[in-house]
Parts: sequence; C-alpha cells; structure tokens
Amino acid sequence: MKMKIFLVLLAAGALCAVQPAQAHHAFAAEYDVTKPVTLTGIVTKMEWANPHGWIYMDTKEPDGKVKHWMIETAGPSQLVRHGLKKADFTDGMSAVVKGYQGTNDPSLANGRTLVMKDGRSFYIGSVGGPNDGAER
Amino acid sequence: MDHLRHHVAAAVVLVATSLLAGCTAPAPAPPPAAAEPPYHPVASIREVMNSVIDPSVDVVWNSVKTVIDHGRPIEHAPATDQEWAEVRRHALIVSEGANLLMMPGRPVAPPGAGSLAPGIELAPEEVRALIDQSPGGWNQFARALQDSLQPALAAIDKKDPQALFESGDEIDAICESCHQVFWYPNAGAAAPVSAR
Repeated sequence: MKMKIFLVLLAAGALCAVQPAQAHHAFAAEYDVTKPVTLTGIVTKMEWANPHGWIYMDTKEPDGKVKHWMIETAGPSQLVRHGLKKADFTDGMSAVVKGYQGTNDPSLANGRTLVMKDGRSFYIGSVGGPNDGAER
Repeated sequence: MDHLRHHVAAAVVLVATSLLAGCTAPAPAPPPAAAEPPYHPVASIREVMNSVIDPSVDVVWNSVKTVIDHGRPIEHAPATDQEWAEVRRHALIVSEGANLLMMPGRPVAPPGAGSLAPGIELAPEEVRALIDQSPGGWNQFARALQDSLQPALAAIDKKDPQALFESGDEIDAICESCHQVFWYPNAGAAAPVSAR
C-alpha cells in the first residue's frame, strides 16, 4: 500500500515537473525584454494548448552541446488567426524562433515570430508583449 | 353675528385639534440597522486566485489539448464520465470562485505582502485603490469571468471536446483584460526592443 502511494506521488511529481508554469503574470514579470533571442534549431514537440502554446526546441550551443528550450506562444486560436496549423509541426522540422529569454529561467523564452524552413513566417507572440513590430 | 362667531370658533378648534393630533402621532420607526453580512472572507484575493481560480482553470484549459511529439499528434480529452465530471467540478469552482472575488471586504493580499514583481505588477495597496476607484468595473470583470465559463460548462455537459477547447480562449481573454486593468496596468509600456 505504501509503495502504491509512493508511486502515485512520484507520478504526480513527475507531471508537475514537466508541466509548464501557467500562472498568469505580466509579460515583463516572466520575460526579459532586454534579452532578445534568436533560436535556430529542431522543434521536437509542440503543445497546442490553452491558454498558451509551447514549442519545445533543441538548439546547438557553441560548445556543441544541445540546449532544450521551452518557448511560450500565443494561444491556439491566435496561432490559427495568424495562419499556423497543427499540421505545420512535422517530425524533425527545423525553424528559427525570435523572442525574449525568461527572466529567471535561461532555457525559457517567449516566442514572437516563427520562421519555417520553407520561409513561411508566423507571428506567435502572446498578449502583453513589447511593441517591437513583430506583429506585422 | 353670533352665528358666524360660533362657526369661526368651531373651525379654530378643528384646526388646532388636527395640528395637535399631527404633533402627537408616533414618529416613524427608524430604518433597521444594516445587518452584518453572514459571510466572512478568510482568504485574500491573491489567495483566492492562487488556491481556487488558477489551479481549477488550469484543469479546464488542460483537459483538451494536442501534443505534437516529433510530428505525431497525440490528442488529450476527457474520455470517461468520471473525467468529464472532474473537469465540470473545476469549471464550477472557477464559476463560483468569481463570486468570491466580488465579495466586499476581502483584502487584496495577506498582511505585509508586497508586489510579486515590483515595478511591473502593482503592490496590493495600489490594486486596492484601483478596485475602490471602480468597484463596478471590478465586479463586471468577475462576472465576465463567470460568464466565460458558461460555454465550457455547456461543452462539458455535451461532452464536446472541441467546444470545450474553443471556450478556453475567451476565458483567457477575460483573465488577461482584468489583469491589465487591476494588476499590471503599466506593464504594457515595456520599452520597445527590436526582436528582429
């Protein structure tokens, strides 16, 4: 019985660990507008979810190590409004994401634009981001 | 002449009696003292948000989503009656939680608490001032939050994952609109930085 409870708690802990933080905060409280980033890499996963989507991307660091990024996007309805579809996220897709790095988490970013390998560009920014001209 | 005098005297007596009657009539009962409301807010608005609204709305939002893992879409949605009932429970918690936000007398944050992001998100006393300035506006947002859960509840009752998923956008829009007015009204003024 104790083992069962332990396993349940372990599973719950694991779920919490991979679940992106979802508490609402001001954009500037979570992301640093003085740290714009341009991430070039492979999209491994996309969470098409409310209230925000999440792109998981692997980039290669200068030392050759792979860095795993979690990139917040606008919610699905906004993404659709800007022309993006679930089907656009194919296996092994390479892309460039421009956005801002997390204030407290260096592997977290808020995406503003997503450019596919075929050149298509999408605005993926969430509400409250800086007026940086990305939404054009 | 005597006859006329008699009439005048009678009239004077009548008027005097009427006036006297008016003066001695019992004073109207004072309005009943405002009764103390039977409820008693225990948690602050911040605690209601963190303990009631946010965890439950996350369950509603997360109940339907697609995870595209290496190009392979994996659909998530409530499947059993029990899972639908669980989402409904959380949708109701958010709906009723909105009433908690409207209850007068609830502090914004626990005593001594400050801003969670100084300079970006307002301190509790600043939030209080905004609410006191526009209690109607505050209540309108809380009511809009409650109303925004109605399509979610209807979708749950129909066991319609797509409608439940689509309802999430409006809920988020209401949350964000209210936060921009009462929590971080100045956060949109971040210095423009080129992301290009």
